[in-house]
Amino acid sequence: MHELDLEVPGGEICVLVGPSGSGKTTGIRMVNRMVEISDGDILVGGTSVRDRSPAELRREVGYVIQQIGLFPHRTVTANIATVPRLLGWDGDRIAARVDELLELVRIDPALRARYPIQLSGGQQQRVGVARALAANPGVMLMDEPFGAVDPINRERLQNEFLRLQAEVRKTILFVTHDIDEAIKMGDRIAVLREGGRLAQYATPAELLMAPADDFVEDFVGADRALKRLALMRVSDIDLWQAPLAHVGQAMAEARAKLDGAEVPYVLVIDPERRPLGWLSDADLRGETVPARPDASPEPVLELDDVMRDALSDLLQAETRYAPVVDAEGRIAGVLSVEIISEFLTSSEAVSDEHPAPERPVG
Amino acid sequence: MPLLGSRFVVALPLAQLGPEFFHNRSNPDCVQRNGAFCVGWAVDNIDRYITPTLQHLALVSSSVALGFAIAFALAVLSHRHRGLVGPLTGLTGVLYTVPSIAFFLLLIPVTGRGTDTAVIALTAYTLQIIYRNIVAGLSNVPAEAKDAGRGMGMTDRQLLWRVELPLALPQIIAGLRIATVSTVALATLAVFAGAGGLGAEIYSDLSFKTGIIIAGGIAILMAIAFDVLFVAGQRLISPWRRVRPV
Repeated sequence: MHELDLEVPGGEICVLVGPSGSGKTTGIRMVNRMVEISDGDILVGGTSVRDRSPAELRREVGYVIQQIGLFPHRTVTANIATVPRLLGWDGDRIAARVDELLELVRIDPALRARYPIQLSGGQQQRVGVARALAANPGVMLMDEPFGAVDPINRERLQNEFLRLQAEVRKTILFVTHDIDEAIKMGDRIAVLREGGRLAQYATPAELLMAPADDFVEDFVGADRALKRLALMRVSDIDLWQAPLAHVGQAMAEARAKLDGAEVPYVLVIDPERRPLGWLSDADLRGETVPARPDASPEPVLELDDVMRDALSDLLQAETRYAPVVDAEGRIAGVLSVEIISEFLTSSEAVSDEHPAPERPVG
Repeated sequence: MPLLGSRFVVALPLAQLGPEFFHNRSNPDCVQRNGAFCVGWAVDNIDRYITPTLQHLALVSSSVALGFAIAFALAVLSHRHRGLVGPLTGLTGVLYTVPSIAFFLLLIPVTGRGTDTAVIALTAYTLQIIYRNIVAGLSNVPAEAKDAGRGMGMTDRQLLWRVELPLALPQIIAGLRIATVSTVALATLAVFAGAGGLGAEIYSDLSFKTGIIIAGGIAILMAIAFDVLFVAGQRLISPWRRVRPV
């Protein structure tokens, strides 16, 4: 490690990311003195780690490792109870805490008497997290905690962990070599380069928009513009407005709205302002606005959708425009592939060698 | 499985005894003729084997218990200080290679004739197997379990007793089983140290077949009984070994 200077605000996830040999694991193992620091200092909650005995310190700091490391000879309950037992809690308090944690990480209480070998990989991982949380530590160290889980379950466990973190609000140091995982999990990301040098310490959005140097830019990847979409919600972007028409309205009025509209199609809505569909050319030749327009409104997006998923819905449906609704299902605007691609080009996120994706024909 | 092997050892000689074996109770000449196995004599004289059997049991139990205590201490010591593994393996190995009768005879001038001498020699023979198995068991404990234990704030001692030893247990017991069975056999030589045991009955008259079969048979049964006890004990204290993955 070389002059690594980091401050992690309480209740946030700080991800250490970098290629192998960049000292990420060493970095977090210094926090619980699994690796001794030769120079400098680490403060946990304002106190130097050097001022506490290693065993004492480690009981106050949650620790999750890549291989999960559950004790094969101990049941789920006994594994979770490890630190409380070391701290000398009484039996009733431990039992109550185990129940609470099983519920928190969503493990069926019927599994509590099982041994690790009798659990699926995902269940083992969640028991590992419950074990680290057992004595309610303020700080958690997680060393590639989802590394041993298959990719499909990894995504689910990541989401579950973010939900859990929203509840428990721990200060977390999280190590990964996967930049996508870093962007997804981190409130802040420390990009390390070989030899434990800090290349950049920033929020995920800053990292994607303004990489500090070529190393970071390279590490973040050529598709960082697309990665940024994973950090945004549909509500974060200025939506377009489509001409709206109510069922039974005279078609002449609807046609008139098309002049100079941002979206060149008329969207039919019901009395609750929920989208029913788009008017086709054939529809427009009719007398009144029909209750069942020719073109379905699908895909209907929500303001809360992640932008990357919204784009993928648009591309999959081979449509250029999609109505966006609020939580009650009322029309809030229209998202188009053009809006997204303009956003990507304008934010200087795309260099010449990596042009924005081709616009699909709607 | 060693258990099965021992059963064959018992069954095969019996099968070769022939019809005479089952009828010689009515034959008073059996002992004079030194028949293959004189049931009548056996039934009448079984009492004389009780004391040697108990002596044998005491020799084996105390030697294995003492051997385990010493080997355990040495193994834990060398688990902390890895550099000791080589020298200690060599030392216990040297003890293991001393010819057994010579060992008893060499000790007699130092420790005198009797149980102490026998126990010292028998204990020395158990060290190698038990020591190596404990050391191997401890080093086979998954690194991630140790890392997790230490990372959660276990001291070295807590890690040893709560994680390493329980996980090394199957291998430790495997060592105890081999050591015990071989000590049961070796203890028949304890008679040369003047410690009695089943060997006393065997060597008192090496030509009397019935006597040898009874004493040998008791030794074999004793070995099997020890083995069964160890297997049962292991199953009892390591339930996690028996569960199946789902």
